[in-house]
Amino acid sequence: MIFFILFLSIFGGVLLSTQSSINGAFSRHAGTFESAFLTFFTGMLIMFIVVLFFGSGHLLEIVNVPKWQLSGVWFGVGYLFLTIAAVPKIGVTATNIATVIGQLLMSLFIDHFGWFNGTQVPMNLKRMIAVVLMLIALHPIYAGTNKTEQVAGIDTGMNRQ
Amino acid sequence: MKIWIYSIAVAAGALLSAEGAIYGLLGNSIGKLESSLYNFMTGTIILAIVILFLGKGSVSYAFKAPKWQLIGGLLGTSYLTILVFGIPIVGVGVAMTSVIVGQMTMSMVIEERGWLGSRRTQMNKEKLVAGLLMIISLILIY
Repeated sequence: MIFFILFLSIFGGVLLSTQSSINGAFSRHAGTFESAFLTFFTGMLIMFIVVLFFGSGHLLEIVNVPKWQLSGVWFGVGYLFLTIAAVPKIGVTATNIATVIGQLLMSLFIDHFGWFNGTQVPMNLKRMIAVVLMLIALHPIYAGTNKTEQVAGIDTGMNRQ
Repeated sequence: MKIWIYSIAVAAGALLSAEGAIYGLLGNSIGKLESSLYNFMTGTIILAIVILFLGKGSVSYAFKAPKWQLIGGLLGTSYLTILVFGIPIVGVGVAMTSVIVGQMTMSMVIEERGWLGSRRTQMNKEKLVAGLLMIISLILIY
């Protein structure tokens, strides 16, 4: 079961990366916000159908949950705005490397402190070594893509979501 | 000094992880698929407002664009739904590290093959070593 989830999450990353290339291509003609809007809008249509047929939860419970649990959407949109601010100043490669570092560190902090009511997984030596290895791996992977992404336009990295 | 701009980009990545954690939790209260619907519905509304005031492009290009450029929403919903299911089981650290490994591997493959309109870049020894390091760190975190 856990290996299945692991495999699915890796596949999720594959989807994210594919999406950012595809949205990059779309945004060159349509605009960055417009590209994000299309992603959210078509995503909403798809999820509406999926929930209608396969939903087993209680969508209306949304009015009863603590408001901070609804803040995820601002984090997603905030990500978009922050990358839009950063890319023109430091470039796509640097932005990609910096966001991955943020993603990695934040996920380990959340585990360590048990934030957002999650299970607490304390930081240990193995995890610290893992962070160092990831940081070493980042540069060769994204540095080589520098030229490509500048040709592709500045929007490439900021259309995930 | 551009250090604060780098901090902004790091913060953006941190937001992605926090988003996953929060949706993992919301999924337990209102349902997993329902959480994903909530995100895309509310995001649509927010971006509609943003485009009304700040939009300079054209949404209607969607009708003229090649169809493959329109599947971003399908990929995005699949990504978020996977996270909403996965995070409560394996935790944010393991889930996000796996996502990062998938992201970095796929971006290497896209570049190597020249897919999706990207210019081809050769796979080299450094990139292969980097791939290996990522897999080792995933095992260490897991």
